[in-house]
Amino acid sequence: MTTTAPFTLDVRPLLQSGGEPLPRILKAVSELEPGQALRLLATFEPIPLYAVLGRKGFAHAAIHHGKDDWEVLFTPDPQAAAEPRKQRPAPASHSGSGAGWPEPTWTLDNRGLEPPEPMVRILSALEDLAPGEVLEAWNDREPLLLYPELEARGAAIEVEPGNSGVHLLIRRGG
Amino acid sequence: MNTTADRLSRWTPSIFACALVNLALGLLLAISGLAWPETPAGAPATLAMVHLLTIGWLMLLMLGALFQFVPVITGRKLPSQWFALATLVGVELGLASMVCGFLALGGNALAAVLLPIGGSVVVIAVLTGGAALLVPLMRKRPRPLSAWFILAGLAFLLLTVLLGLTFAFALTVPSAGPLLALLLASGVAYHVLAGLGGWFTLTAIGVSYELLPMFMLAPHERGRLGKAVLWLGAGGFAAALAAGLAGALWPLRWIGVPEQAGRLAIVLALALYLVDVARIYHDRRRRQIELHNRAAVGAFISLGFTVLLAAWAAAAGRLAAFAPVLVLLFLLGWLSGLGLTQLYKIVAFLSWLQRFGNRLGRAPVPRVQDLVNEQRAAGLFALYFTALGAAAVAVAFGQPVATRAALAVSLLAVLLLAREYARAWRGYYAVDRSSGPSSGTTTLSRIKGVHP
Repeated sequence: MTTTAPFTLDVRPLLQSGGEPLPRILKAVSELEPGQALRLLATFEPIPLYAVLGRKGFAHAAIHHGKDDWEVLFTPDPQAAAEPRKQRPAPASHSGSGAGWPEPTWTLDNRGLEPPEPMVRILSALEDLAPGEVLEAWNDREPLLLYPELEARGAAIEVEPGNSGVHLLIRRGG
Repeated sequence: MNTTADRLSRWTPSIFACALVNLALGLLLAISGLAWPETPAGAPATLAMVHLLTIGWLMLLMLGALFQFVPVITGRKLPSQWFALATLVGVELGLASMVCGFLALGGNALAAVLLPIGGSVVVIAVLTGGAALLVPLMRKRPRPLSAWFILAGLAFLLLTVLLGLTFAFALTVPSAGPLLALLLASGVAYHVLAGLGGWFTLTAIGVSYELLPMFMLAPHERGRLGKAVLWLGAGGFAAALAAGLAGALWPLRWIGVPEQAGRLAIVLALALYLVDVARIYHDRRRRQIELHNRAAVGAFISLGFTVLLAAWAAAAGRLAAFAPVLVLLFLLGWLSGLGLTQLYKIVAFLSWLQRFGNRLGRAPVPRVQDLVNEQRAAGLFALYFTALGAAAVAVAFGQPVATRAALAVSLLAVLLLAREYARAWRGYYAVDRSSGPSSGTTTLSRIKGVHP
């Protein structure tokens, strides 16, 4: 039902210079006209964005043009907004403790950030969570130095390695 | 609550400081003219200098780094922090006794006591530190590639110090058996190969496979190339050492075949490692390379040059003539170069964790980069590697005075770098960003529609 041509956002230069694309993408999404789609050009498949924009009511279709060249079309889809839980595959839990966790209320993409920045961001986000809330994060690597910090703060973590990074679910204790 | 501090290896900073003092002392001995390059390789003062650089500097540096990294890469704690302190004290006391013993060699009865005692204390210290590291390394399953390199390195460390202790007895006990005398006559090369190669190099490769991808954001999995480096390297050193030592003790005609095969495997392993390192630099996702990894290129060039020169010298039958320059480049260019460059990041990182760990997420904190001044250190790394290159040329042309002058410049670079490490540790450059924007909360996005 798209009435307007898709809005194209190219975040490749930003990604290549080490910048953080999420604020710009969310700003673009908030400025879309009703029914307008977003055409995103990126250097990697923006998997965490699928969940974020899925909950905002966008379906996605990705085209892999070549190395470091992805095009993803986010189209408004009422179905997607109605069933946000299907957007994210169930995490392959190591301990099984993540099975009964609520849906994540926050998301962070830490890929492309140099250590210890991913750890700093996760711990900052954790402070803003209500007890029992879950944070979702994507890291380049398993955050080995983070584990003792989470333990000290009474938080639990689920780790799921993937092709485009490590998927983390972190639940605040209390 | 103080888990960040607990997570740090408590004695690692002290171990690094002692290691740097030993490096300076070793270089000072070379510059003084009392030892190599003015005296032959086997001269007492040269032996003192070499062991200050190997046991005192490189071994302490490696063990100090492993006490910090092994718990991180395995996710398992060391049995106790006290093992690290015991290792440091044992190595320093044993080394001091050994250095005095070496200097007393040649008639002084003291040597007969100090060398074997010092050697024994070092062996006990190494067993202590090695045992502490083995606990997390053995428990972790599946074991990451870096852990296999470290395990192999520790096995060669044990072989190195036991061989060294054997020499200590052979040097000082006149009635040592004929087997010991034989071993001393031709076994020193294997002591060097086991120490600089099997122990230091395999361990350095393992640690670099963690550190390089971590800070350059390159793929951590090294795949078949990494496994090939491990098996060719560990197998090559094992074959070359086992065959070489057997050949030194017994006249076995065929033993040269496995020894040559082992040496070939070592050269192949180091060449593949350098290819893999180039792949890490190429596949990195951070365009900007931080100073410690820019400067580490000097160490990798030293390694590559050493491998090429060694292969050529071996083929031309001139290995003995080129041994001093090979050892210089390998010990001070590759191993010390990698150590000094990575130390620059490690010290800043540990300082940052120790200083701000408990504040993370709760208050704005400076970045790790704010604890260092890369511009200042960049020139020092350039000075170090340039002086080392000059020293290598001077050694190759048989110019001891020029060698000493070049090593004096490298010592100056080391001392100024040590000041930079100390500044990073003390927070000299730290900029308080508590009034500026927090680095931790800039791009967090609340997902609407999910939270009830």
